[in-house]
Amino acid sequence: MIMGTVRRMSGVMVAGLAALAVTATLACGHRENAPAGAAAAKHSNKITIAMIAKSSTNPVFLAARTGAEAAAKELSARDSIDVEVQWLTPPEEDGQVQAQRIQQAVNGGADAILISCSDASKVTGAIDDAVNRGVVVMTFDSDAPQSKRFAYYGVDDMKTGQTTMAELAKLMDGKGKVAILAGNQNAPNLQKRVQGAKDEAAKYPGIQIVGTFNHIETPQDAAAEVTRVDNAYPGIQGWAMIGGWALFTRSLLSDLDPARMKIVSVDALPAQLAYVDKGITPVLLAQPVYKWGYVGVTTIVEKLHDGKQPPEIIPMDLVRVTKNNLGPWARQLKAWGFSDVPQQYLDMK
Amino acid sequence: MSRIRAVIRHLLGSQETGLSLVVLLLAVALTVLAGSHVDRRTGELVNNFLNSNTLIQTATDASFFAIMAIGATVVIISGGIDLSVGAIYALSGVSMALTLRAAGPLGSGAAVALGLVVALGVGLLCGVLNGALVVGLRVHPFIVTLGTMWVLRGVAFVITHAESLLVPSALTAVTKASLGLGGGLYPVPMVCMLVMTAAGAIYLTRTVMGRHIFAFGGNLEASRFAGLRLDRIQIGVYAVSGITAGLAAFLGASFYGSSSSADGQGYELYVIAAAVVGGASLIGGKGSAVGAMLGAILIVLIRQSIRTLHFDQNYEWIVIGCAIIIAVVVDQWSTRLAARRLMRAGARTQAAA
Repeated sequence: MIMGTVRRMSGVMVAGLAALAVTATLACGHRENAPAGAAAAKHSNKITIAMIAKSSTNPVFLAARTGAEAAAKELSARDSIDVEVQWLTPPEEDGQVQAQRIQQAVNGGADAILISCSDASKVTGAIDDAVNRGVVVMTFDSDAPQSKRFAYYGVDDMKTGQTTMAELAKLMDGKGKVAILAGNQNAPNLQKRVQGAKDEAAKYPGIQIVGTFNHIETPQDAAAEVTRVDNAYPGIQGWAMIGGWALFTRSLLSDLDPARMKIVSVDALPAQLAYVDKGITPVLLAQPVYKWGYVGVTTIVEKLHDGKQPPEIIPMDLVRVTKNNLGPWARQLKAWGFSDVPQQYLDMK
Repeated sequence: MSRIRAVIRHLLGSQETGLSLVVLLLAVALTVLAGSHVDRRTGELVNNFLNSNTLIQTATDASFFAIMAIGATVVIISGGIDLSVGAIYALSGVSMALTLRAAGPLGSGAAVALGLVVALGVGLLCGVLNGALVVGLRVHPFIVTLGTMWVLRGVAFVITHAESLLVPSALTAVTKASLGLGGGLYPVPMVCMLVMTAAGAIYLTRTVMGRHIFAFGGNLEASRFAGLRLDRIQIGVYAVSGITAGLAAFLGASFYGSSSSADGQGYELYVIAAAVVGGASLIGGKGSAVGAMLGAILIVLIRQSIRTLHFDQNYEWIVIGCAIIIAVVVDQWSTRLAARRLMRAGARTQAAA
């Protein structure tokens, strides 16, 4: 009877035990700075910060993570405290999953949460619950202004959209057909950038927007969208890219002719530098994404450890990257932990 | 006495018991390995996993998948598949939010009732549409629901203009009611999951319709010769799947306070995985509501373990993927073994005769 029972249960049992075994293996081999057993009890001089970015497959958030961990290391050494950053970013953008991660962080004993909101309305309730349970919350990149978060650090999205279009209009002498590459249609910060770009374009009678194009926020999907739109609208002379996704690939380097097409893009990651060098994208508007994590962790630690009260909005300034400062910017990226900065740009003056 | 022994033997031999044991084992392992922290409100040392907040939060996370997985299990038992549940989840949620916005200020009861009716109604309509297309076009449900997955999400996107819509706080107050527990505990989604599991179990095992679904999925030809109304059964199972997605959408949108056309992306895969890990056979004729719930809990528990034990979360998909593949493969092996044992027993009986 016992053997029969075991045989009948074997499907799920083996599956579950396999999961258990993999879990246990990971517990032994890949645990990330986790204190074990009773040693996990928090000391008074330990600060655990849960970092929840939008997506762990987006390189800008990986740079933010590097910044957060660097700040944690520096502050731990400077103030003789133990600052730990727990990376709880979902693999794909999902506001509901972010809300669940906030609850998990609170239940796991985190002292603070640093979050970039995929959907502000979806996470506001979870942020408020966390604050009500004594956990401080700070937002970066994409805010949840209606929530009880104590501070936001990031660019002014409306202004970013305006600056992107203004730079493009200047390159095109104020006339021509342009398109807007807009990323995820559901992201409120991107919607604001698009609105800013449209508002700015309205100031130039010669600029005609042929359309705003959304896409899945992966480099391949973004580059494919640009190619599709270029084929469908042969008259396009300029792209206002409110995020740099399409330029994270190399495919557009050969597809686009700098004599016919000008691009101004937000972000300035290593893969985008070749577009500046080739003249396809004369201007990149860089968000110092490393600072999302660095400034975020520093602000939280100063609040919790030193009792400092930061301003509610901490503005982040865009960095204008052109051929003139390509070398210094490449070296800055390298210093922030980007390992794929081409040597030729690192060698530039 | 022999009856009690038979019941015990049945319980021990059931797939659900095995799954419950696995869930329990994983929970014990998590409790031992999780470590502890000082609770900010009470100042007491609490286990990072074995505390009321984490347990109810895990059940809440599982509840949305589990409720949809019960519907998906009904479809899978019939031999079909529904890839559109994530899109139905999104469309039901945004339809509810838009209707409530258009209705203007309402009393709490009226807002909740209207929201529930709209979410369930849209879910039902989408499910009936899926069933009607499968029956009417005679196209494989995989293709039909793949198509409706995009169509329904597209409709959700068009009608919301990509806006994330807030739902009235009365709905959040209901789904986040503490039911006397206090302390930031919100058990309503978990209670709904348990109620739906009980309802699903009764529907599948104690009603004529439930038996017809097993018969339909287990042997289509025999069901046809038995005079079952096959078209009605097929439309019915997709309607059930749509209703459960609508209910999950009502709970999800109300609990988190908003709804958008991007909600529920990829949920169909978690839902089907929960059903399969819960013992549903993709060739039909096998599955249970309790198994679906336990499958959802196990998957969410695996996800939770990644977080609780501070693993590199990039391993999450690998672990879940391995668990699903192993579950299906071992299930197929055990089915073949059982068939072989039956054949041998038959041959022995024949030889003895």
